[in-house]
Amino acid sequence: MTDSIHITRRGGQKSRLTLKAREMMEAWLFVSPTVIGFIIFFLGPLLAVAYYSLTEWNLLTQQATFVGLANFENALLENPDFWHVVRNSVIFALGLVPLNMALALTLALALSRPFRGVVFFRTVFFAPVVTSAIAWAIVWKFMLQGEGGFINQVLALVGISGPNWLREPNWAMAAVIITRVIKMVGLNMILYIAALQAIPRDYEEAARLEGASRRQIFSMITWPLLAPATLVIMVITTIGSFKVFDHIYQMTGGGPENGTLVLAFYIYQQGFKFFNVGYASTLAMIMFAIVMVLTLVQVALRRKGME
Amino acid sequence: MRAALTGIVASALTLLMTTTSALATDLRMTVWTGSEAHLKMLNGIAESFKARHPDVNVKFETVPVNDYTQKLTFQVAGGNPPDIAWMMEDAAPAFENANLLMDLGPTLKAAEGYDFADFSQPAMGLWQKGETVYGIPFSTSPFMIYYNKDMFDKAGLEDPLALAAKGEWNMTKFQQVAKKLTEANPGKWGFEFKDGEGYASRMTHALLPPIRAYGGDIWSNEECGFDKPEAVAAIKQLHDMVFKDKSIVPPGEQGDYFSGNSAMTVNQISRASKMAEAGFNWGIAPLPGGPGGESPVIGQAGLVVFDQGKNKEIAAEFVAHMTNKENVATMAQFFPPARKSVLEADAFISGNKLVPPEMMKNVAAAIANGRVHPAHEKAPQLLAAMAPRVDALWKADADVDQAIKGICSAIQPLL
Repeated sequence: MTDSIHITRRGGQKSRLTLKAREMMEAWLFVSPTVIGFIIFFLGPLLAVAYYSLTEWNLLTQQATFVGLANFENALLENPDFWHVVRNSVIFALGLVPLNMALALTLALALSRPFRGVVFFRTVFFAPVVTSAIAWAIVWKFMLQGEGGFINQVLALVGISGPNWLREPNWAMAAVIITRVIKMVGLNMILYIAALQAIPRDYEEAARLEGASRRQIFSMITWPLLAPATLVIMVITTIGSFKVFDHIYQMTGGGPENGTLVLAFYIYQQGFKFFNVGYASTLAMIMFAIVMVLTLVQVALRRKGME
Repeated sequence: MRAALTGIVASALTLLMTTTSALATDLRMTVWTGSEAHLKMLNGIAESFKARHPDVNVKFETVPVNDYTQKLTFQVAGGNPPDIAWMMEDAAPAFENANLLMDLGPTLKAAEGYDFADFSQPAMGLWQKGETVYGIPFSTSPFMIYYNKDMFDKAGLEDPLALAAKGEWNMTKFQQVAKKLTEANPGKWGFEFKDGEGYASRMTHALLPPIRAYGGDIWSNEECGFDKPEAVAAIKQLHDMVFKDKSIVPPGEQGDYFSGNSAMTVNQISRASKMAEAGFNWGIAPLPGGPGGESPVIGQAGLVVFDQGKNKEIAAEFVAHMTNKENVATMAQFFPPARKSVLEADAFISGNKLVPPEMMKNVAAAIANGRVHPAHEKAPQLLAAMAPRVDALWKADADVDQAIKGICSAIQPLL
């Protein structure tokens, strides 16, 4: 029906466009800034990286040679560093995700109900999220110095001799994870608070009238109802943990003994320090695949949850 | 009418300004110094270039030293290189081999009164291949010991300058003095590696001077030198100083010399500009000698012009101007010269505003006798390959011999 409507312009001239065509054109005009930005800043570079991953490209000589899947073979089958780096990334994620989520949920449970000063505490725990990551890492790097560091001096007061946090591989990984958790936990806390506040109070009141304990209310009502939010938070945090770069760059530089050399930092090293742009692109494509799989898992689980 | 006149005048002025700016040539030069004193001196040299080329403006762009080569590379790859750049010695081979640098030889040799032969041949080694001149060194700066005189006095010790004058400044004395300084200044250290980066970006700068003092090198002729007996002895001494004597700032600690937290460090005379605000008495002395004799280490930096630059001819002329005798003498207060005439002139020894003549004599001697830090086309890869093995070395309970073997097995394939 609309197809047949012709718009009459001022002065009696008929527009050649149908209403639907005009609406489509307007719609495209409205979304064009986003679409253009997406193409220039995301799709274009993504396709370029996909192509570069099949080349051996030295940035200095500006010579790119097509090598097919040789870079992928090198990364996945020949280069032991790659699997060491993947292992580090997995350890980082396994350390960060449960710690972050447990702390976020605890804080959310404590701060989801209104009480005097609740806004202050929420702000305090959220503030690190909006703090500059580099500034955060620099401050922690100072605090985590060996004998002279603030943390070790505090530990010394209670008779504990702290390690040289950022110079011992295992402690360095732990230190990076914990400081990252403290920085980012506020974001997940807010997501959990929103999810908790969306649970109708009637369920809890009904359970309480039936004589349920606080633990039972949490395990049988709150936790199951938080499952969709938990799933989203888990996937987002896992993806974020695979992309960590700034913390590693500033606090450890991938050391000591490559103990904190994670995938994103390794890509940076290959591309920006050694100028092996082809190989760095290959690594970026592998990371893209990992993140894509995690995202698809999230989508699938959410669909399943909604059914 | 009045409005019309105003419009005409405004248009004429705009046209004039546009024409003038269209005629002017802007040269961009990247440097890694942000020091006010250095930039003031460089701007002065750019201003004096206007006497012959009034239409040429030179702008100095500071790029932080840690990212310098990386940012320069990306500017080149992005098709927007600077016209002129300072270049670090370790980056030079890669840029030369990629044919990115202009041959400055014809311009320099044609410049009036330039005297190209005045540059010492060893200093040109890194920048010249046959007749092609890829760059010209503007800084041939030896590593020196900076010491905090107040901390030496507090410990009742003779300072390194006095010890050097007596011929007693060697690696053994260095260890003894560093230990006594640490004991006499609680909470502070006897020695800090160069720029506090000896366990990270300056790991070779930390290890090279003692290794050379023992008669070794970190690598030479494509062969790793860390596992040679001389180098092993030097590294073991440093390891003892860090973990047994606790006289060197250990990994993971901050002990900045310039803030008065360490009694000695190694650095170049360009850092003398920082000493004005240090707030303590200080001095410069040679590096301690050792079984290998005195063998100073020189850090070098050169001026290069990019071949793809639009104004490369005029940029090369600016390099010729910047490195003529007069300007090399001006820069010598911060950047020791590679020109023999300037190096041998009294003005170099006695004309430095920051460093007294008795100390500058040692700087001149170190330039004359020193060898540059080994360069390599794959310097970034070598450092990255070394880093985890060097980390393993810097532990109190490290198996030093094993860690050293690890360093060599990591870098030998790249060499």
